[in-house]
Amino acid sequence: MKIRQIHVPSTLERAVSPRLLALLGCCILAVFYIFPIAMLAIESLAFGSGDMFQVYKTALQQIYLTIILNSFLYGAITTVVSLVLAYILSYYIVFISNKQKLLLGLVIIPLWVAYVVRYIGFQILFIGPIKTVFGTDFGILYSTSGVVLGLTSVLLPFAVLPIYNALNGIDDEHIQASRMLGATSLTTVRTVILPLSMSGIVAAAIIVFILASGSFLAASILGGPGQTMIANMISQAFLELYNIKLASALAAIYTTILLALLLVFNYFVKLEEVFSQL
Amino acid sequence: MSITNRIQSLGLRLSTLVVYTLLLAPVVVIVLTSFPVSEFPRIPQQGISLRWYAAILENNDLIAALQTSFFVATVASIGSGILGSVTAYGFVRGEFPYKESLSTFMLLPLMISPVITGIALIRFSTDILNMQNGLSRMVFAHVFLTFPYVFLLVRAELVTFDERVEQASRVLGANGTETIANVTIPLIFPSILSSMIISFVVSFGEFTATQFLVTFDSVTVPVIIYTMRREGLTPEISALSTVLILVMLAGVVVSQKIE
Amino acid sequence: MLELRNLTKYYGDFLAVDNISLTIADGEFATLLGPSGCGKSTTLHMVAGLLEPTEGSILINGKDVTAKPPNERNIGMVFQNTALFPHMTVRENIAYGLRMRDAPKSEIQTRIDELLNMVEMSDHGDHKPGELSGGQKQRIAIARAIAFEPELLLLDEPLTGLDRVLRESMRREIERIQNDVGVTTLYVTHDQKEALSMSDNVIVMNNGVKQQEGEPKDIYTNPQQQFVAEFIGKSTILSGEVMEGDGMQIQTSIGEIEAADSQVEEVGNNVNVYLRPEHVQIESERNGHINEFEGKIIDIENLGEHAEVHIRLPSGTIMIAKMDGFPSVDVGMSVYVSFEPSEVIAL
Repeated sequence: MKIRQIHVPSTLERAVSPRLLALLGCCILAVFYIFPIAMLAIESLAFGSGDMFQVYKTALQQIYLTIILNSFLYGAITTVVSLVLAYILSYYIVFISNKQKLLLGLVIIPLWVAYVVRYIGFQILFIGPIKTVFGTDFGILYSTSGVVLGLTSVLLPFAVLPIYNALNGIDDEHIQASRMLGATSLTTVRTVILPLSMSGIVAAAIIVFILASGSFLAASILGGPGQTMIANMISQAFLELYNIKLASALAAIYTTILLALLLVFNYFVKLEEVFSQL
Repeated sequence: MSITNRIQSLGLRLSTLVVYTLLLAPVVVIVLTSFPVSEFPRIPQQGISLRWYAAILENNDLIAALQTSFFVATVASIGSGILGSVTAYGFVRGEFPYKESLSTFMLLPLMISPVITGIALIRFSTDILNMQNGLSRMVFAHVFLTFPYVFLLVRAELVTFDERVEQASRVLGANGTETIANVTIPLIFPSILSSMIISFVVSFGEFTATQFLVTFDSVTVPVIIYTMRREGLTPEISALSTVLILVMLAGVVVSQKIE
Repeated sequence: MLELRNLTKYYGDFLAVDNISLTIADGEFATLLGPSGCGKSTTLHMVAGLLEPTEGSILINGKDVTAKPPNERNIGMVFQNTALFPHMTVRENIAYGLRMRDAPKSEIQTRIDELLNMVEMSDHGDHKPGELSGGQKQRIAIARAIAFEPELLLLDEPLTGLDRVLRESMRREIERIQNDVGVTTLYVTHDQKEALSMSDNVIVMNNGVKQQEGEPKDIYTNPQQQFVAEFIGKSTILSGEVMEGDGMQIQTSIGEIEAADSQVEEVGNNVNVYLRPEHVQIESERNGHINEFEGKIIDIENLGEHAEVHIRLPSGTIMIAKMDGFPSVDVGMSVYVSFEPSEVIAL
């Protein structure tokens, strides 16, 4: 079937250029997504009565600051742990195993299981089997280690994919040359493989960090009172305290810091390429 | 192989095994605990029973949640499918300044914590857009939450798309719209479809933003799983979770087949 | 008839096509010939309407089409990688242009049959491009382009990527079809064999500029620019200086050369001398020719139907001579090379 009878007059035809379509998408996103978020930030400002940034004074109090810093801290720890584990896994898949597709598939499958299910599964894992087998849950559940471990388990595939791609892309000949020149496996990893896979490592780090620090479910399901993260706090402020101003302020502070960090990163690594790794 | 090599190799294999366990155990556990005979999820189990899956079918709330999730995911994926494809086309074929930065801009929904998105959109849709229906608000929010996935996937497809086929069509006498309809869309359609299915899957499993958007009569599966948890972990939760897993995995498999 | 007037294309500061003007007569087969990046493809794309010229105009059969989009120019185009629609069958591909012109169904079917016959692909009507070989795809691409009897046919290096044997047979095919159909044709290539064998008119380009235009014979025997002399055919190149006389005596590194004609006539000016291998004679003894030099064979490249013999002259210069078949000379032999003044190209 050839669609022929769409006689779009030339002037219209030329007006609706691809550029316009892109603009359309940007505008829609801007109006219906960016604007609401910006509005949220604006809501945190108290216009009229005295100090505009009044709520920020509350928001930047010790308790809240701790939560924000905790979130970034958990994010950082999770990132480091995930990177190490993901690197080991990817290395194995790329260089040692001959069932690449299968092993990679096993990494990708959990990615498509909803977070809520994976975190609950993690919880059950410790309440059930681990407790039964080892007698104790090692104090992991409802503690910092629980949250970090849970985050790692859930975000691991995000770390593996970019690293896997980077490692896979390394030309065998570089490695062979290194071995021929006398380097051991370990040295080759350190001097050749690691540097050449750096882009993947950075990409993985950024993705995991963003997702981990902003995580809601990890702390909610696996954490105790001491593990409240910024996402939980914002939610609490909104749903339980009905304090929209506080919630917005916290959201604004967190997002600003995050975007600032990302901007710095964007200077070194194009964020786009990072996300296209997915 | 020397001793050090052997130890290294063994160490690597062991570590890999540990990592896989960490990764897959939660999912495996959920599935396994949906079959027990008794009330509590426990491993090892005393027996296998499907009663918990049957229980789902008798629980109206759960059925309603499944329906809501399906509805929202379907409509949202159609919406983000269209929006994402059109925008991706514009970005790949169009020339304008700051294209790079704007591209990253399109991915913001992925970077901003879903909690913030959820709160922002519930307020916006209620107060400004005056959307009364909980269902429509959820669809609205999910369109934007899944938009980046379509954008990325369709854009990737268009980038590797040989423009010359479009040029040939133009020279043969077709105008821009005719070319898109007769040549471009048929050729990228599999990608669009598969990215829409990915959107479906993402929407189906979304919790963090959705929790702010649910209402009395429109709850989604992830949210209901979460709230059920409050009352204790039951095999029913595991069963429902397993259903969720199956739906999402089925979607991914179909999406891959289309490619 | 195709006319280009002062066609220019700037990419930012980069001048890709510099003020190209040319006229191609009705039914003529013209070729834009030049190395990669010389602007030939850019020119072709402007004629097709796929690129907007910075300056200049394009006239097809007297009508100015410069402002018209590609689909209104009534041009047929064959692309380098065929660009056949992978999701349509061969028949549907060929039919496309006709459908876009609202031709009646029955007419379309007859026309497709005609064309499939012309390109000798009658059995492949219902196949998809993916099932065809490179050469078969190009035939369909040609059929598709001429299906609606365009006023102009453009071909953008269509034979790149085909192996030598296929390329040669396709060359003949294209010539035959073009002859039968009689459509004005503009062909783009970097391969001089293609250009010289197929065209009525060759336009040599380099750096966006038209270097020379003429019949293949002219281009080959009478290059007017150094670039053309070097790009077309193979030559031994000598740099020299014009001596006493009217440019006919040239002092070069190998000695004094007499030319029957030179583009550079002022005494003392630099001039390049080009000698085609087929004009260089090799003899075992001195025979008193006007341009005769002694040398030693240092290399023989046997290419089957002829051989290229490399001779080093005392000055160090290496001259290339062509000898038929497998010549009975050996490396190391002392020989005498000579060439007629009339065969000397001096630019």
